[in-house]
Order: sequence, then C-alpha cells, then structure tokens
Amino acid sequence: MTSQRTAVAPPVPRMLPAPGPMPGSRDESLVGELRMSIGLRAGRAIATEQYHRGALRILRPHYLDDGDQVCYVVVNPGGAYLGGDRYGIDVDVQPEARLLLTTQSATKIYRTPGSRARQDMRLKLAPGSAVEFMPDQLIAYEGASYLQHTVVEMDSTASLVMAEVVTPGWSPDGRLFRYDTVRLRTDIWVDGRLVVLDNLQITPGSGSPVDGMAFMEHYTHLGSLLVIDARVDAALVEELHALLAPMDPAGQLGISLLEGPGLVVRALSTATEPLNALIGAAGDLLRARWHGQQPLNLRKY
Amino acid sequence: MEQTPAGPPSYLLALLQLSDSALPTGAFSHSFGMEMYLERGLITNEADFARWLGEFVAIQLVHNDGLAIRLALEAGPVEDVFRLDAMLAAAALPREIREAGTKMGLRMLDIARQVAPGPELDEYAVRVADGRCAGHPAIAVGLVGRALSIPAPELVAAYLFSTVTSLTQNAIRAIPIGQNAGQRVLRGAHSVVGEAVAAIAALDESEFGAAAPGLEIAQMRHERQRARIFMS
Repeated sequence: MTSQRTAVAPPVPRMLPAPGPMPGSRDESLVGELRMSIGLRAGRAIATEQYHRGALRILRPHYLDDGDQVCYVVVNPGGAYLGGDRYGIDVDVQPEARLLLTTQSATKIYRTPGSRARQDMRLKLAPGSAVEFMPDQLIAYEGASYLQHTVVEMDSTASLVMAEVVTPGWSPDGRLFRYDTVRLRTDIWVDGRLVVLDNLQITPGSGSPVDGMAFMEHYTHLGSLLVIDARVDAALVEELHALLAPMDPAGQLGISLLEGPGLVVRALSTATEPLNALIGAAGDLLRARWHGQQPLNLRKY
Repeated sequence: MEQTPAGPPSYLLALLQLSDSALPTGAFSHSFGMEMYLERGLITNEADFARWLGEFVAIQLVHNDGLAIRLALEAGPVEDVFRLDAMLAAAALPREIREAGTKMGLRMLDIARQVAPGPELDEYAVRVADGRCAGHPAIAVGLVGRALSIPAPELVAAYLFSTVTSLTQNAIRAIPIGQNAGQRVLRGAHSVVGEAVAAIAALDESEFGAAAPGLEIAQMRHERQRARIFMS
C-alpha cells in the first residue's frame, strides 16, 4: 500500500488482465464493455470487481495524492467510435468510496453513415461515495452522429462531478464542424427522484441565416459541468461565477443552481483549451473545498 | 366530444379561454432567455425576433411543453402525467426556467380547475401544494385536455400559439416593435406552430427535454443580466 500511496501513472500503462466476467454482465451486442465496482480496502478506494471486454480497457489504478480517491483511466484501444457501435460502461461505487474516472485520450467519433455511435453509461453512487468524471474531450468528425446516455442513481449523501467537452474534428476540406448531431443525455436520480434530465442536442450550424441562434451561433466547442452535491448552494454558484467569468473569452458562460442540490456550468467557445481551463478550474475549486485536494493533474503521457 | 349539428366542439370555449393572451398566468413577465439576446444585440427587429421565436418553438416548446401535453393525453393512469411534471422540472436546468414553470404552473392550475373541474386537477393541486409535483402550465393544460377529451393536435396547437402570442407581446414591448409587426410575426408563426405540432406527434419519448446549448446559456446568463424587465 505504501508504494501505491506515492505512485503516479506509469509511463507505459499496463492493461489489467480481465478478472473474469461479473455476474450477468456480458452483453454480446456491445462493441466495448466495462464494468467496475469500487469499494474501500484498507481505507482507500479500489476496484473490488472489474470486467472489460472488446474495445474498452481500464488501466491499473493509481492515486494522485495521499488521499483515498482512486483514479482509473478508461482506454479505447481502437481509437474511435464508428457507426452502429455501442459501448456500455457500468460503475458501482460503494459507501464512502471515492472514484476519479478519466480517459487516456480524446473519444473520437468518426463518420457514422446511416447510423450513429452510442454509449450507455450507468453510475451508481452509494451513501457517502463520490465520483469525479473528467474525461478528455469528445471529438466528432465529419458526418458523425453520436448519442451518449448516462444514467446516475445516487444517494443524497453522495457527490457527483461530471465534465464534458465536445469539439468538432477537422473535415477533409479543412473546415471544422461538419458532424451531424451529438446528443448528450444525462438522467440523474437522487434517492429515487429524478432531479436532472439533461438532454443536450449539439447540432452544428448549417450556415443558413435562419438557423443557429439557439444552438451554437458561430461557436464550435461546448463545455459542460454537472455537479450534484448536498453542499452546493447559491453562494457557491456565485463564487464559481466570479472565478470563471474572467476566464471566459467568448462571453458565453452560463452557471445555474440545480435541484439536487447541484449546479450546471455551460460554455461555448471556438477552441478546446479555454473550455478545459474553465471546467478544470471549477472542478479544482470543488476538490479543494470539499476534499482538501490539490488541483487535478492527470500527468498524462 | 358531443357536438350539436350547428355547434362547435364542446371544448372550444374552454380552449379559447385557456389560450387567451390576457390569461393571468404571468406570461407577460417571462422572456425565456429572449431578453439576453436583446442585450447582446442579436434581436433588434421584427425579422430577428421571428427567427428567434422559430428556434425557441422548435427546440424548447416542442421537446418540453408540447411533448408533455401529447404524452399527458396519451397516458393511462394520472400517475404517469405526474411523472411528466417531474421530467419537465428536471429538464429545466436554468433556474429561472424552472421557476417560471412552477410560477406559471400554479396560476394555470387555478384557472384550469375553474375551467374544467375534476379529480385529476384536484389531485395535481394537492401534489403541487405538498411538493410532490413541481407545477407546470403544460401539465395543467394537459389535464384539462384529458378532462374534456380535447384532441392532441388542437390542444398542442392552441397551447403553442398562446405561448407564441405572449412572447410576441413581450417582444413588442421590449425590442420594441410595432403592433402591426407583431401581428405579422404571429401570422408567420402559423407555419412554425403547424410544423411543431407535426414534429411533436412524431417524437419519441427519448427526445423529451432536448435542449440547445445557446438558448440554455442565454437563459442561465439572464440570471445575472443587469438591466432587465423580465423574470426569465
């Protein structure tokens, strides 16, 4: 345990061998499947059960600091989601366990002619548990259509922080923004009550003058952060706004208080970096405030 | 739908009453994010407003209020209608939009209970009062539709056009544009509402609450807008 306490992500991450299917987990229709159960062992979070198959892998766990939060990195060895592909991720976090979940690299959605790629994710947060989900950006290429449906079932004493940055890929003619639609749907249930039904439809502007004011205008990149935590209140929302507003170059930053209680941050931009900076700053404030942790540094290689 | 040979459908007057732009639901104080586009200079005239209105109907009203009314009419037990109330509140991420739903929902519920008294509206009032339901005008109107057997296309079209009328009156005051310009926008909105009704009829429930990022951000930013005449 001592060596793990100071470990950082190894330069060449090793794949964990699949410990065998979790009961009832196998879904042959999925291109990639990942299931984990995170529990506490000797005071630190760790996967107590784990299964992956097909085009999803998970790297060995590591700890970014001396705390109890375990970090797992999801890998898509194929490098991209294609039309008709379905991915399934199922994570169960046991009482008091804290998980940081991220990705090794951007999720790329390639052209999906006549169909779409899809990812279904289920997160279950037991009392006192916490999930911080900070994936790399999602890049949708020309002709890509993608649905990401995330269902969170959490206890009201659990804590959820979930980020997403969506960016366009470059099309062969060198222009941005030619994907069809990216839909990010997130249903959050707290103590069995639906508190968030976030069904974000991200459709690039067609260039037509009668299209786009409600969608993206001339912006191309979207950042989003959803937080559900009993400690969120209007004062925290204002504090985050004061922190983030000066970092917002496009002036298209929205922050609002959610039932739950929780909060949502949304921003539009023309580049990835300002959005990563905004979302990162918000996440870091919450890490420091609630867990006494340093700013997130994933030290990716 | 009793109908005397020479008479209108039995629900027509109820529908007209609920669609009246003078209905005291407080709609005159909600712009649903439009005021932020005004401040940014993106809506300065009749054409800008008509364009914004078309997008607002096609994304927000179609996937929230409109789909909720259709599903309320199709629902079996009224508990399924109350589930739609929770979905509407959960889908309204911007705080002011959630609060607008609850405020206008309460007013609409009072009026609906006078227009079409019945056990389902009574039960909705109980649940809104004790916090089990959030309250939303689309649910109150949907319950009226169930009580009076109003066909979905009529009820949805009337609700959407009524909302469009309120927003147009708000735009007339806020941009400002002339009354005649407002009537031209409303006439132009006939096709917008017609297309919306057709879209709603074809939607899958998985599309409930679909939102567009620009509009949502405008609705959130409105919370901190300095000079404002609307509550949302």
